Amino acid sequence: MEETKKEMPQRQGTVKKLKATGEASAYQKQWFQGLKARVEAGEDFGYLNADVPMEVLKAMDIPFVVNQWWAAICGAKRMTKKYFGLLRDAGYRDDLCSYCATAFAESLDPDDHAYDADGNPLGPWGGLPDPTIAITRLTCDCQGKIFELFAKNHGADFYAMENTQARTFPLNWWDYAQDDWENLYDKDRLDAAVEELKELIRFLEMKTGKMFDINKLQEVMDNINRQEVWYGKIRDLIADTKPAPVTVVDTINAVMPAQWQRGSEWAADHAERLYYEIKELADKGEAAVPNEKYRLMWLGRGLWHDFPFYQNFEKKYGAVFVWSMYLAMGADAYIRNNVEADPLRALAARYIGMEDFLHMPPWNAQWFLQQARRNDIDGVVYMVPENCMQAVEGSFFIKKTLEDAGIPVLAFNADPVDARKWNRDTMTGLVEDFIENRVMKKEK
Amino acid sequence: MAIRECALKNQHFARLYDAYQHRDAAALACKKAGGKVLAKLGFDVPDELVLAAGLMPVQVYADPYKELVNTDKILEFAFDPMVRKQFEKMIDGTYKELADYLAVSNSTDVFIRIFLYLREMIRSMPEMPVPPTCFIDWLFTRNRMHQERNELIIGLFRKQLEEWTGKPVTDEAIKAAAEVCNADRAALRKIGALRHGEEVRVSGTEALVIIGSGFFMDKKEHAELVEKLAEEAAEWPVIKGVRVFVTGSVHEDLKVYEMIEAAGGVVVAEDHDWGDRSYDRDYNTAYPPVRAVVDRYMLRQFSSKKAFVTQRVDALNKEVADAKADAVMFYTNIYEDSASWDYPSQKKSLDDQGIKNTCFAKMLYPAEKNEDLAAKIAEFIKG
Repeated sequence: MEETKKEMPQRQGTVKKLKATGEASAYQKQWFQGLKARVEAGEDFGYLNADVPMEVLKAMDIPFVVNQWWAAICGAKRMTKKYFGLLRDAGYRDDLCSYCATAFAESLDPDDHAYDADGNPLGPWGGLPDPTIAITRLTCDCQGKIFELFAKNHGADFYAMENTQARTFPLNWWDYAQDDWENLYDKDRLDAAVEELKELIRFLEMKTGKMFDINKLQEVMDNINRQEVWYGKIRDLIADTKPAPVTVVDTINAVMPAQWQRGSEWAADHAERLYYEIKELADKGEAAVPNEKYRLMWLGRGLWHDFPFYQNFEKKYGAVFVWSMYLAMGADAYIRNNVEADPLRALAARYIGMEDFLHMPPWNAQWFLQQARRNDIDGVVYMVPENCMQAVEGSFFIKKTLEDAGIPVLAFNADPVDARKWNRDTMTGLVEDFIENRVMKKEK
Repeated sequence: MAIRECALKNQHFARLYDAYQHRDAAALACKKAGGKVLAKLGFDVPDELVLAAGLMPVQVYADPYKELVNTDKILEFAFDPMVRKQFEKMIDGTYKELADYLAVSNSTDVFIRIFLYLREMIRSMPEMPVPPTCFIDWLFTRNRMHQERNELIIGLFRKQLEEWTGKPVTDEAIKAAAEVCNADRAALRKIGALRHGEEVRVSGTEALVIIGSGFFMDKKEHAELVEKLAEEAAEWPVIKGVRVFVTGSVHEDLKVYEMIEAAGGVVVAEDHDWGDRSYDRDYNTAYPPVRAVVDRYMLRQFSSKKAFVTQRVDALNKEVADAKADAVMFYTNIYEDSASWDYPSQKKSLDDQGIKNTCFAKMLYPAEKNEDLAAKIAEFIKG
């Protein structure tokens, strides 16, 4: 694996390495070891899809891992080829649902918890401990099936939460989400989501023997608000600072480990430290890419198996990826003010929107446009997943909305975790062509 | 074996076959006579309510040879080819002309996306000829909370129909429509018995015509024709052959079934929506109307899209046993992927029971695009 890493072009040194990124990385490794110890000691352990209201488990102090985070870790460790080979050997197709099926594929690996002769773990971070609970939302036809199979392999209880569709959809959802969610969603959708939460809570109480305390949930929600406010400030700081003090490579790696820990004091404090660290860079005029000429927006999931790709265009063109959903989403979609009035309903108003904001036209397209304008974006590079219906999100409408507003878009198909079909040279050529022929020629 | 002479010579079958082949004829005639038509995308738009509203329901179907003028620009390629062909007709004016309204049910996540795209086109591209469209947001996981939610959703659909037609959809009208639908389902079950029994009298190809024609013609007429046909088909010659169960994608046309039956098989049952699943479970007239509609559509046979793996394994085992099938053929079109997660568990279960099975996955559409498909099917049937 080290050899593979060495083949990747390394960062040119034009961007400051954030302390907060290293801190987050160290924290998540330490946290994961602690989690393993808790599981080994016999505690229940949840494995959740990203759109599951994890705040409930946080409030109940049930340790959990998020599927997408873990898939990203597996992708970054370049385990995907092995895992999808295991899927094939077990009679499954190896070309489906790569993001969601990575952990299921890993569960087929007999060496996940084993070590090589030198004592190095063979599974990512020593492998995933056996969950006792697997929870997903039914946001596509495959999700429930994959989670059920995953749960069976681990001997875990499988729990599914339903998903509903919005009938009303004010285009500027971000103006409603923080305070006025009752007018953002259909009332019956919110009612149903609250009932779903109550059922989930009852299931978890019965399974773990732990009581759900509404006051603990309020604390969790307050921490999340605090954390996401800092992300909002960071997002706006980057939007307002040219050249940008950091790029998506810095922010994604700093934000996502903490986002999966949202609700904790650490995550909120980390977000604050991250803000001040970036602000210091901005105040000193230290740019990530001093020759910044073009500001790029990355749409779609992170390219977890080839992160340095984002930096390929900095030196040659001064083209800098300054925006990804990973920072901006938390700021606009997660904050729920005045939680104390009804923490459960506030949580419902957060988790049902996650799918809508990202994957439902026109909400996603309108938000991307608003953000592109706010960040003075010159071009959008949009990765459309190849084999995922959940991420089918109206790419036509997104592209049309942005291009009608004069913002060029390069849309291409690729996979966030499966490197098998990824060709760095081809993709670099594609983006270079886009920059040269669309972005640079665009009249500002 | 194509459709047999005994079927083609039967006047009732001939009428059904005509409706199956000329799928738009009844809807156009209805419109010409001043009636209104509602096109259905998905298999959970309740006919009981549509009929009670005085509308003629017709199923959206694909034209496999239609050029995708706009669809390829709008749909990501994760959408399966049959849906792409359906979508083209929904945005090129075909259904705007044929139907007054379009109702989409979330029978699969793919149709949810299709609805969202149509809704966005109506909002932001009003020049596109998309009919007025509504969505039925069923929840299919089986628990009390979702049953209750479904009652609200069906109530909303009822209101939408009232808004469109300007008339109330009364309980009495729903019950009367349900009786027609139940009669149709009862007649189709008689045909089913002629396939599932020890002696097979109706082929799978013939059954697809009998079942599918009901998606495009007057429901009462269909029920009467099928009822009479069931009586007469009981005297049709017995079909000998390997009894095959088909699972996976829907078959809107006869091609794959014809290949199976030409090779010496006979399709005795299937679990897709253009086959046996379409007439499973009645509307219970003892329940209040909305609750009865929910009961019928929520609790019938599991679909391959909206069920978990263990549910699908159990369902397939039961249906294969009920139909006394000797063999099971999995057949899924390319990009129609969810059933692929069921397949290894289902295969293992069938293998454990000694039931031979084969899988045709990632199939091109229409079926004749697949090289040597007939030969491969024959190899399976004869092997």
